[in-house]
Amino acid sequence: MSLEPTEFMSKMVSRIGFSADDRKVLQSTADWGLEIAPEMADYFYEYLGRDAEMSAILNESEGRIHRLRETFVAWFHEMFTGMDDWGDAYAERRWRIGLIHVRIGIGPQHVVPAMAVVVHEAGKRAIADGKDQQLRDALAKICMVDLAFIEQAYIEVTSAAVLKETGWSEGLFRRLIATGAGAM
Amino acid sequence: MAISTEKLTSILQNFVTSTTDIQGAAVVTPDGLPLAATLPGGMDEERVSAMSAAMLSLGERIGSELARGGIDRIFVEGDKGYGILTSCGEDAVFLVLADKAAKQGLLMLEIKRTLADLKAVLM
Repeated sequence: MSLEPTEFMSKMVSRIGFSADDRKVLQSTADWGLEIAPEMADYFYEYLGRDAEMSAILNESEGRIHRLRETFVAWFHEMFTGMDDWGDAYAERRWRIGLIHVRIGIGPQHVVPAMAVVVHEAGKRAIADGKDQQLRDALAKICMVDLAFIEQAYIEVTSAAVLKETGWSEGLFRRLIATGAGAM
Repeated sequence: MAISTEKLTSILQNFVTSTTDIQGAAVVTPDGLPLAATLPGGMDEERVSAMSAAMLSLGERIGSELARGGIDRIFVEGDKGYGILTSCGEDAVFLVLADKAAKQGLLMLEIKRTLADLKAVLM
């Protein structure tokens, strides 16, 4: 059950409807994206830090929150530049970021609402700066693609660990989940 | 050659009805899909199949990790009876349910014989 980042990216882009026009809009406002990235990092980590458990994780080691903020700024800017036009390098980096979230312990229950805060605040800032709706829509879409990577990383890592330790096939594992869910 | 589910079912039915204290039996794939089953009423064939495959696979994993060698069978003993899981080649798992009164020696011998019949159909 190993995720292939480019294939997953392609699937999510198609499902979410992240279009060529969305790419153009984001790339044309990449400088603005970089400008507001530190502010969005503040919103993101301020939201996460409100939770005692998350705050402990974010501040577990010296300099971790600083490094995470730097990564956030780069990540946020990359949503506008698309790195390699949202290709292999972009997908690989999103997958790695997902794995980092798993390793650190920032789960979907924390990331999903924190990402919603970022989308909301970026939208407000876009309005304040006179940007049009198309930019807000494009940004919301690529945020959802990236969020899907983070969520999927949790599933993939958890599943891989179970399969490795039990020797179960993927088919059997899915069947157990389906029958288990049916019994809940 | 296609696997005959009718033959598998017939072998299982014969095994369950002709062997003393056997309550049910099933043949499932390693992915947990039922191939044939003769189970007591109220048991969900899909669930039993998934659990059987999971149990045998986990047992084999434990056998390997704890250096117990190849696993012949998984034997579950409860106060109401036994559940015995045996690998039936690479493509199937054989589950047998027996009540507490079953004589274990006889049970193992009957399982061994039935396994040979099942393997012949599965080949």
